[in-house]
Amino acid sequence: MKRSSLVGRYALISPAAILIFVFMLLPMLLMALMSWLEAGQFGGVKWGSYTPEAYLKFLFDRDLSDHLVFNTDYLSIFSRSFQLAGITTFLTLLTAFPVAFYIALQTPKHRTWLMLLITIPFWTNLLVRTYAWILLLRNGGLIDSSLHSLGVLNTPINAMYTPIAVQIGLVYAFLPFMVLPIYTSLEKLDWRLLEAAYDLYANRWQTMRRIVIPLAAPGMVAGCILVFVPALGTFFIPELLGGAKTLMIGNLIQQQFGVSRNWPFGAALSFALLAVVLMFMLIYALRFRGKGSLTQ
Amino acid sequence: MTALANAIVIDNIGMVFGAGLGAVRALDGVSLEIGSNEFFTLLGPSGCGKTTLLRLIAGFEQPSTGSISLYGQRLEGLMPFERPVNTVFQSYALFPHMSVAQNIAFGLEMQRKPRLEVQKIVADMLELVQLTGFEARKPAQLSGGQQQRVALARALANRPKVLLLDESLSALDAKLRKEMQLELKRLQLETGITFVFVTHDQEEALTMSDRIAVMKNGKLEQIGTPTEIYDFPRSRYVADFIGETNFLTGIAEANGLRLPDSQWLEVTHSRPPGSSVDVAVRPERAQIARDTNGLNAVVREVVYVGTDTVVYLEIAKEVFRVRMQNHGGAAKMVSVGDQIKLVIPPNAVRILEAES
Repeated sequence: MKRSSLVGRYALISPAAILIFVFMLLPMLLMALMSWLEAGQFGGVKWGSYTPEAYLKFLFDRDLSDHLVFNTDYLSIFSRSFQLAGITTFLTLLTAFPVAFYIALQTPKHRTWLMLLITIPFWTNLLVRTYAWILLLRNGGLIDSSLHSLGVLNTPINAMYTPIAVQIGLVYAFLPFMVLPIYTSLEKLDWRLLEAAYDLYANRWQTMRRIVIPLAAPGMVAGCILVFVPALGTFFIPELLGGAKTLMIGNLIQQQFGVSRNWPFGAALSFALLAVVLMFMLIYALRFRGKGSLTQ
Repeated sequence: MTALANAIVIDNIGMVFGAGLGAVRALDGVSLEIGSNEFFTLLGPSGCGKTTLLRLIAGFEQPSTGSISLYGQRLEGLMPFERPVNTVFQSYALFPHMSVAQNIAFGLEMQRKPRLEVQKIVADMLELVQLTGFEARKPAQLSGGQQQRVALARALANRPKVLLLDESLSALDAKLRKEMQLELKRLQLETGITFVFVTHDQEEALTMSDRIAVMKNGKLEQIGTPTEIYDFPRSRYVADFIGETNFLTGIAEANGLRLPDSQWLEVTHSRPPGSSVDVAVRPERAQIARDTNGLNAVVREVVYVGTDTVVYLEIAKEVFRVRMQNHGGAAKMVSVGDQIKLVIPPNAVRILEAES
């Protein structure tokens, strides 16, 4: 009886377990293996010849006499990516909070409409919407030409292919991912608590800082993760809006599997990124451990 | 009343929610004065405007017309956090992310009281509401009664001039509510703070209040001490809302009323002869007897309720309840169907205002 129920339990979880193994764990293991192999001449890898070369390449270059020389090129791409993703997270947090707060204050009927407006961009492919930003930002584009016709500017804005263009694209693309979780936590907020705070001599700012923000914190943290992690890994926004000058980790990885034909290096870069992201998640998990129940 | 300093003066307050056809008049020309150190209760059914009046005093709403002043200071335009008034909310509204101690300290911290003083007041308050040792608990870890006492401590910690209580006991079960009623009364006497209490529970109002204002459809119906309200209800509405009452209607004649079945009810009144007059008689003020003068009535039902027996009589085609204490043994002499005499002393009859 006991034995059969145990078998039954394994049978029940097996579809999910198989799915996770085949589509998640297996490719990850394959990538891990690949990052320790030698690159094939025309892409792919040389099976059986193990080398830490891919990880070394991240930090070092080999000079003509085969000595390792410290090389910061890839590190600077990493740091630029973190900077762009970090600023994106900060700016989306700054803009999304008032938006989410405003929506949460509306009547339920209005809320539904406003949330629909927030999600409407998802109905169009992000790639297409990023192309639309080229039309807006390029010289002779909508922003440039209207600034000229208003007489504000008489030189081209030269916004395209700069880190600023990439930054604008990133903030635009990830803003909804910040609004949604913050809205979810504010929607559950008991607004009578705000009256209680007012009643206890807290002004608007103190009420915001001591009551609203602490109670919305889980949503804000979730939003930060939802924005920061994918922003770190994007590749087509910097490619379309930043050109070759504003590479991010995503572009670098994509190149290794494409034009550079260095699959092991691409795999190693992916794992380096994964390690950093996991570290952030771990910090979050430790910091907010067991505090989830507070939002109820 | 004039000898006491007035804590709150409410002058001709009107409150309209919404506009146009959907406008709702929540308060209509309400004027009243609440004395210092008074336990004042706003009593009425839901929708009578009592909570709106409380929210106006707290500053969560602004009146459409009229003014409120607190110890001579006009409150118009002052935000809730600028008023020396604190509220105990119906839902308690304790901050879920803060401990009991942090909740109680919140108002003091907002007023930038020194840390040591805050700690001392928090400890005092916890002792006052008998929750010492619960400092570190979160509101979710407390029972309803404990949460209620934390809400009370949180409001009282600020030593407000006026404490507003919005149906603060209604979420508690009956036994706990009884305990808290006495507790509140004790706290009010100990602290000397003016309490304005909102409730729809007439028994609660009678138990705790120094004075009661009975409200109806946004207007004041009657203000008075519990005894006045209970013994001398001015209108059918007040008499019906507070306690059990019998109503009789008759045509006025000199020194009495002629009931519809031609029986004579003796009572002094000043109404013009021939007019229709409503009167109220409390069930415990009437008696039944066999061999005396009185009104003829028929016993329809006898209900034993522990300390008392309630006898339901039929007189002038109306139901009339008489409540008798059981220890006298008087209740034993009646049974259903008996023809008996109903004795109503003239001083037990209350003449009610004509309904408008």
